[in-house]
Amino acid sequence: MSATLAMNAPRALEVRGLGKSFGGIHAVKDISFDVHPGEIVGLIGPNGAGKTTCFNLITGFYTPSAGQVRFGGSDVTGRKPYHMARMGIVRSFQKTNILKSLTVFENVLTGHYMEARQPLWRTFFPGRAVRAAEAAARESAERIVRTMGLANRMDTPASVLSCGELRLLEVALALAAKPEILMLDEPAAGLNSQEARQFGEILKSVRGQLVSSILIVEHNMGLVMGVSDRVVVMHFGQKLAEGTPAQVQADSKVVEAYLGGGGKKA
Amino acid sequence: MKFEKHCLVALMALAALLPLVVRDQYLLHIAIMVLFYAVLASSLNLVVGYVGEFSLGHTAFLGTGAYAAAILSTQYGWPMWATVPVAGLLAAVVGVVIGGITLRLQGPFFVIVTLSFAEVLRLVADNWIGLTNGPMGIAGIPQPALLGDAGNLGAKLFYYAVAWVLLALTLYLSFRFVHSNAGRAAVAVRENRYVAQSIGIRPLSYSMLALVLGALLSGMAGGFYAHYISFVGPEVFRFAFMVSMIIMVLVGGKGTLVGPLIGALLVTFLEEYLREAKELRLSIFGLAVIAIVLFLPRGLMGFVVQWREARKAQAPQVARKAERRAA
Repeated sequence: MSATLAMNAPRALEVRGLGKSFGGIHAVKDISFDVHPGEIVGLIGPNGAGKTTCFNLITGFYTPSAGQVRFGGSDVTGRKPYHMARMGIVRSFQKTNILKSLTVFENVLTGHYMEARQPLWRTFFPGRAVRAAEAAARESAERIVRTMGLANRMDTPASVLSCGELRLLEVALALAAKPEILMLDEPAAGLNSQEARQFGEILKSVRGQLVSSILIVEHNMGLVMGVSDRVVVMHFGQKLAEGTPAQVQADSKVVEAYLGGGGKKA
Repeated sequence: MKFEKHCLVALMALAALLPLVVRDQYLLHIAIMVLFYAVLASSLNLVVGYVGEFSLGHTAFLGTGAYAAAILSTQYGWPMWATVPVAGLLAAVVGVVIGGITLRLQGPFFVIVTLSFAEVLRLVADNWIGLTNGPMGIAGIPQPALLGDAGNLGAKLFYYAVAWVLLALTLYLSFRFVHSNAGRAAVAVRENRYVAQSIGIRPLSYSMLALVLGALLSGMAGGFYAHYISFVGPEVFRFAFMVSMIIMVLVGGKGTLVGPLIGALLVTFLEEYLREAKELRLSIFGLAVIAIVLFLPRGLMGFVVQWREARKAQAPQVARKAERRAA
């Protein structure tokens, strides 16, 4: 993982004028922001602001009706989701999305798909190279499970995990694909504030180690403000503000969008 | 994985020893049919159990293989060792065509369209009299030359050996597929298409691989069937074959490699045993399937695997409750 990061120069994700309309409704309109190598960027906004749509547009689950997504300088707008993953942009989903009937370890091992890929005939006649690749994938899977603090759940079926553990497994599964940019959609939903704090620590520790940069959508303001280098605020499908956590929290437009004036959301 | 491997090796070893004990032609015939159905059920299981889509058109591949072997041997005089593999390859080509169209669909749409394909092929076999001899079917498919003076028992033993090799090949390929990166990718697609795509898997590639592998194996089984029964008619495309395969996969446990073998064993014997009951037979089968689906939704083997896992992990019930509360 760190090997791939070292080999290629880290790349930036650039979103330019991204837009999507469903019928006459502009779900996302003219959104632009960057995720630079090494950065953690928070994407926030009230419910229905278009954050998840934005994620779907960037990762190819929706086709944008306007704008561009660039990765490392080249245009990747509208590529298929698996194509984006192969280039190094891996996302998680808002609703818990894991492989339910598999164990924690099997989930993370499956996430090593791209790394462990073999020519077709090798599937049926594996040689030493395949066994070595499989062993490497298993070792790496075990390491990721440990990093995420799920070591004592290694062989537990994912279907019996607690909510907090599921959230960690989701990130582990995405990390297993060895992304350059990790995109997390409300990864801390359902966590209490202490769990969210721990989750933030884990995110900070994997940045620069397992991934280059992170783009995170989250409603838990303590978490977003704590981990992000920069925060982009969306409202009604458009960009409302962008800046450091401190700048954004001081912005009266942002405060108004969230509370309709006065105070900030904790 | 280890447990599964040991089960498979043990079952195949038992099957290899059987002809040393059994010399009764009728029993050998049933044993051959068990092996034949085990190949079919295993190949269907690759689609139903590992792609997670319910194919009702698997007879398309069986029939293609059977007709291919029948035509190649009666009209072109090909020997059996050539017709069976070619029957598999032709069925695989049909698999690529049908899969390319149907695998873009999911759920009930996939079920209906695969069913239609089998039905279309049945109509073709029924009406393209020049090639298939229509409803009369193709009779007198030649036996391999070496059976010339082997007698009836010798022939049965020969076909038993061929079926055993076919099943061994099926299990080897399935085992390699299931326990590989490609197999994990297929399971990821089955469990959650979106997650699969987010980790770089192109869903169509792996559902296609499983379907074509299943088609290849059932095509070879079809080729074998043509030579063994020595007759092929349009009924190879009939739904009855499909029903047997589905019951075997469901009863044994879809998504396990041992399940279809157990299913094939149980169902073939039950079908023979209940032959006396005539019309009642299918009703009894229906009840049995309902019972399995209600009480053992993962089949017999799925039940065993679940029980082993529960014993190994002993996952605390507390976690499950917490999750339910959170949801």
